[in-house]
Amino acid sequence: MSSSVLERLKNSLLELDMETAVEAANSIVEVDDSEAVKDAVGAVADALQIVGKRFQAGEWFLAELVYAGEIVKSVMSLLSPLLEAGAMESAGTVVVGTVAGDLHDLGKNIFISYARSAGFKIIDLGIDVPTRRFVDAVREHKPLALGMSCLLTTTDMEIGRVIEELKGQNLRDKVKVIIGGAALTKQFAKDAGADAFAPDAVTGTDIIKKWSVS
Amino acid sequence: MDFKERILTAMNHEEPDRVPLMGLIAEPATSNRILGKQQVDFGSMLRNSELWNDLKGIMSSSWPELLYANFADALEAAIKLCFDANWAIYTRMQMVEAPKSRPGLFCHDMWGRAWEMRADEHGNVVMNYVGGVCSTEEEWNAWAERTKPLHDEHIKNVSEHHRKLADNYGDRILPIGYAGTGIFENTWQSMGFENFCRFVYQKPDFVKKVVAFQTDLYLRHLNAMMESGIEVVMGGDDFGHKTGLLVRPELIEKLFGDSYRRFSEYVHRQNKKLLWHSCGKIYALLNKLVEWGFDGLVTLEPTADMELGEVREQVGHKLVLVGNLDVSYLLVRGTKEEVEDAVRKAIKDAARGGGYILAQSHSHSLVDPMRLKWMIDAAHKYGKYPL
Repeated sequence: MSSSVLERLKNSLLELDMETAVEAANSIVEVDDSEAVKDAVGAVADALQIVGKRFQAGEWFLAELVYAGEIVKSVMSLLSPLLEAGAMESAGTVVVGTVAGDLHDLGKNIFISYARSAGFKIIDLGIDVPTRRFVDAVREHKPLALGMSCLLTTTDMEIGRVIEELKGQNLRDKVKVIIGGAALTKQFAKDAGADAFAPDAVTGTDIIKKWSVS
Repeated sequence: MDFKERILTAMNHEEPDRVPLMGLIAEPATSNRILGKQQVDFGSMLRNSELWNDLKGIMSSSWPELLYANFADALEAAIKLCFDANWAIYTRMQMVEAPKSRPGLFCHDMWGRAWEMRADEHGNVVMNYVGGVCSTEEEWNAWAERTKPLHDEHIKNVSEHHRKLADNYGDRILPIGYAGTGIFENTWQSMGFENFCRFVYQKPDFVKKVVAFQTDLYLRHLNAMMESGIEVVMGGDDFGHKTGLLVRPELIEKLFGDSYRRFSEYVHRQNKKLLWHSCGKIYALLNKLVEWGFDGLVTLEPTADMELGEVREQVGHKLVLVGNLDVSYLLVRGTKEEVEDAVRKAIKDAARGGGYILAQSHSHSLVDPMRLKWMIDAAHKYGKYPL
């Protein structure tokens, strides 16, 4: 695969140019070479690293992070079918959901898009997730981490309930718990017994990356 | 000095007799507890199919009356706690068929958002934004055409709602007319944030059209409030999230800046004041708020690192600052000492020379009236001018 196509793919993502990114991905797909597709996925991951750094440095804003995620989704929908099973090693499984009583999903979806692009397998439980579903999903999927999102102060007690239930089911020491959302703080995470608080999707993904290599 | 003079003096960046207090009481749960009224168990109503249908019927036929009663109670509760001002809101919700899998009542508001209304575990009403009504330009065009009569009716009700509140409570408290979420939120929330981001890059003319539509509607809403005799009006757009802005400041300026200037000019031409609410970490936009002509900023969310002292240092007395008392912990579970300390710090950081109105940073049903009272008592104790 010509490195110029990979560069074009990476740069178009960094310039938020959907059309060129899709065009570059299509030209890679046409070659029908699984190694080339792997290289392309690597280029996308490299670009996303830079996107994340720009966001954390305050150079890029949430809207740019979201649109970069949309471009990645379009590109990956072309590349993924050509990846051989097991060609890309998963960085680990993460179960994610918005707590019971809370129907907001923007923050959760941004995190999912970003963490998925960083190589994590995501089990998305959706919104308004009752305690039992979180616990059942941890038991079933044996994830590296459980991520809970919560926008509302009126539902923040759900996080403590899930953590208590994990303890009750002897699952707490088998999974890391990370939480995020407008209602939450680092102190809240500590008080509720979570392992980490993510103020944004990029930081959350970075934290889970560290867990995956430790 | 009476409540009105106190608020308006502070809004002119002069020192009143003491730091004024604004309430953000809106939830029936809070008003009922303050007024000693029986709580309505909304949860039981939702679980009972007969009551469910009654509720739907009442909400469809008597929405203006329900909302008036809600804010009449909110103002009465704010008066009882000795607030100088409290916000008052009129919005319109239209019941729609709920998806089968959902337990709540579904509504569309007049700005193009879909909401699910349900009960929390205490039986209180909770409104959750669940998405935009439209996800394509065609859907949006059809929605705008279809809802035109609803908008006309809404504007008429806005005026009546605020006039009645001002007539019945204006001699005891200053009602601050909140026009609800503004053109930034109404634009992206009517289509969803992912769609909005995509349209900004792929269909910029469509986004401009939506902004123009929302701007005209918002101006009509502001006008209706001012016609009703409201002295201080308020708009709001959540520009920030936990760690920064949702959208690049240059893009906000490009898409919305002229509209915001129009709002300020329009309100000022009628010798009224315009406050603007925003959640989130918005330091990067403070100078723009000044440039757009807003008189003040409401909320200053402490859990998004908004520090009153830092904001004052950045904008000086070009903005009136309103809020900053935490509602995630302090006014829900904090101790009396913690509430007093937070009040003293807020006054120390922002109230010198006027230009600060002490208030909770936001409103939800778990904000504790007793802690609100502690906040008010502390403000009376430590907020006397000269400081």
